[in-house]
Amino acid sequence: MNETVNTWRLLDTGIRRAAENIALNRVLLEARQQDESPNTLRFLGFEPCALLGFHQSADQELNLDYCKAHNITVQRRITGGGAIYFDTAQLGWELYLHKRDLGTADMSAISRRICEAVARGISTLGITAVFRPRNDIEVDGRKISGTGGAFDGDALMYQGTLLIEFDVEKMLRVLNIPAEKLSGKAIASARERVTNLADLLGCVPSREKVIAAISSALADEFKVQFESGDLNAVEDRLYTAALAEIDHPDWVNMIALPAHDRPVRTAARKFGGGMLRVNIAYDRVQRRLKQVWFSGDVFVSPRRTLVDLEAALRDSLEDKLASVVTDFFQQRSVDMLTLTPDDIVSVIKEALGNAEVAA
Amino acid sequence: MATVRGCNLPDDLYYNVDNNVWARREADGTLTIGMTAYACSLAGEIVSYTPKKVGKEIEQNKSVCTVESGKWVGPVKAPVTGEILATNPDVAGKPGTINADSYGSGWLVKMKPTNWDGESGALITGGAVAGAFETKMNADGFGGC
Repeated sequence: MNETVNTWRLLDTGIRRAAENIALNRVLLEARQQDESPNTLRFLGFEPCALLGFHQSADQELNLDYCKAHNITVQRRITGGGAIYFDTAQLGWELYLHKRDLGTADMSAISRRICEAVARGISTLGITAVFRPRNDIEVDGRKISGTGGAFDGDALMYQGTLLIEFDVEKMLRVLNIPAEKLSGKAIASARERVTNLADLLGCVPSREKVIAAISSALADEFKVQFESGDLNAVEDRLYTAALAEIDHPDWVNMIALPAHDRPVRTAARKFGGGMLRVNIAYDRVQRRLKQVWFSGDVFVSPRRTLVDLEAALRDSLEDKLASVVTDFFQQRSVDMLTLTPDDIVSVIKEALGNAEVAA
Repeated sequence: MATVRGCNLPDDLYYNVDNNVWARREADGTLTIGMTAYACSLAGEIVSYTPKKVGKEIEQNKSVCTVESGKWVGPVKAPVTGEILATNPDVAGKPGTINADSYGSGWLVKMKPTNWDGESGALITGGAVAGAFETKMNADGFGGC
């Protein structure tokens, strides 16, 4: 039986300034919403930059002095989630689709479907990558691709970063993540949370090989074929206006919140199985745990448990803390010696009640 | 009150079904705007809300605010053209209010419409609400609130 295979466009826009890439996000989503663009898979690269999530504030999330001193551009994405550091050693991937091509309008289901397909593609390179809710692709508990989406009417864009090589120390210097003070321990701790293809494979895979792997997996998932293309005339026209808006301080500073509204709070306690320390980036206005970072030498098996718990706690409301932790441990078998889920809740609560340290 | 696949859709409101947004016409002619329970269900817990500034004129089907849930960001679109009169400080402090009370305290903006009579005819209200949303949910492959 012959089946017609739909053709989607493949764009590779190479390495660009952050403003140009974000402007293209805006343009391609808008043109898709207007039915002026076909469904599109885009690959992209960035000159060194720090990218804020749409609703984030640079003062809260970034070490702006370091960014300025090291020519790291600050930009704002049109997608949600947290700030990221991006340079030429990472690959961006993006899908621009119409909801009718997905069979569902449920946002979490769409995220899962796309991430699982991309994870399968990454896995063909010789590693085992899997989707980790809500929006990560990970290898053995360590994040290798963070993702997020934007929608406009029935059009959507879903994008991710893939770490081909990655400078963890630079990430720690650029982002105000609630890790230990920058040190060998902090770098080792960060390496437990993120990984990259070069480290996993023992060599740097070619960009072409990675693109082929992801494209092939998405083609299989959506039963389509990809055909290389360029921006069309409508997109070219929209791009000029979009770049003028995005490549401007008013866009980058559109949300400017004081750093003291997002303090880092910390606590540590000794248990039978060792020391458990927790650092929390806390949204004081919404009373929300933006990011949690466990460290110390407490015994927990499987070892990835606390990193998974960090993912589960991301963006949790303070008043739902206990239920998130309880649900998390009910869903898995974990050996923590004498440490209990209630102990973990207790240390987090102690941190939230403690005087803040500098963000 | 219409209920479609478990989603409450009060039939005294005016809806743009495609944009999943409602408008309530207040006694003084101003509008209160919000997301439908259906839109909230699709989005999941909303964690951020950034409204357009008070005083800004918004065209029909242009964004009155941007919301974020589960790392998805998108606009909520004006059902008719008008000026933003107020934004919701309670929602700014606790965006989950949009999910918890989408037709009450989770309202997004208040607007002064500039051409209600001319533009509101395209909105769905009353007995037509349930059927219009049933069609949309069917097209979206939606299971239920």
